[in-house]
Amino acid sequence: MPTVRLRDAEEYPEPIQKLFEAAKAWFKYDFAQPPAMSRVMAWDPELGGFHGRAMKRAMTPGEWTRAEKEMVAAVVSGVNACAY
Amino acid sequence: MADDAPWYEAALLVGVTNALNVVADSPLESLEPASPGAEAQAVFAEIRAFYDRTDVPVAFRRVAADPGYLADVWGAARRAFADNTLTRRHKEALAFAVSVTTRSPFGTAFHLGEMRRLGVTERGAMEVLGVTQMFSSYTKIADTLQLEPDMDHLAAGDPSPAPGGAPARSRSRPPEAP
Repeated sequence: MPTVRLRDAEEYPEPIQKLFEAAKAWFKYDFAQPPAMSRVMAWDPELGGFHGRAMKRAMTPGEWTRAEKEMVAAVVSGVNACAY
Repeated sequence: MADDAPWYEAALLVGVTNALNVVADSPLESLEPASPGAEAQAVFAEIRAFYDRTDVPVAFRRVAADPGYLADVWGAARRAFADNTLTRRHKEALAFAVSVTTRSPFGTAFHLGEMRRLGVTERGAMEVLGVTQMFSSYTKIADTLQLEPDMDHLAAGDPSPAPGGAPARSRSRPPEAP
């Protein structure tokens, strides 16, 4: 159970809702609500914007494929014992 | 089983990496034999050959007082890091990520060196570091707020094959991502 109240997408300002729409395009998934992490990062757009761009840059295929990077992410999450 | 092979390999690699790191990073110099016997030297020779280096990584020297134990630890490490379903190059990247995440000075330097030796460029190393750092952030945010998993079915499409796997079959969602 989250320790904060996760806002619905509709509770965010219009510019943020546009970002959520962009997230739908990225995931190619018509979710009822954006993922919890997206909504958390959108709480502070000035931080979340930078963080999200860094994340997207880090995960973009380069010398390593996206799949290889996802496995790196999985082991880091595993070592950190993070179920999310 | 075959479909799970990359994940079994990754998990075993994480364990072996951590096992080597905890010994290498602990103040155990006094356990290193000053003059390892012939049995240990034979194992050391295999280790030098595997890593193409003249010295033996400290993680193995620390356990050389028991040559039988050394041989078994080395056997597990060699198996964990050898090319299999996952490539050795990718395994070194995973071990580097694990070592950075667990703050292992030995593992971080050693596996960064191995990645470079196996042809990973500075850009490639930076890519692994970036993923490691970003997920070290997201995991802590998620844990702090006790977020529940809700993204396991949302991963963006990607046309590249799974590590060690066959090219992806047709998917319900197109593979291109922004």
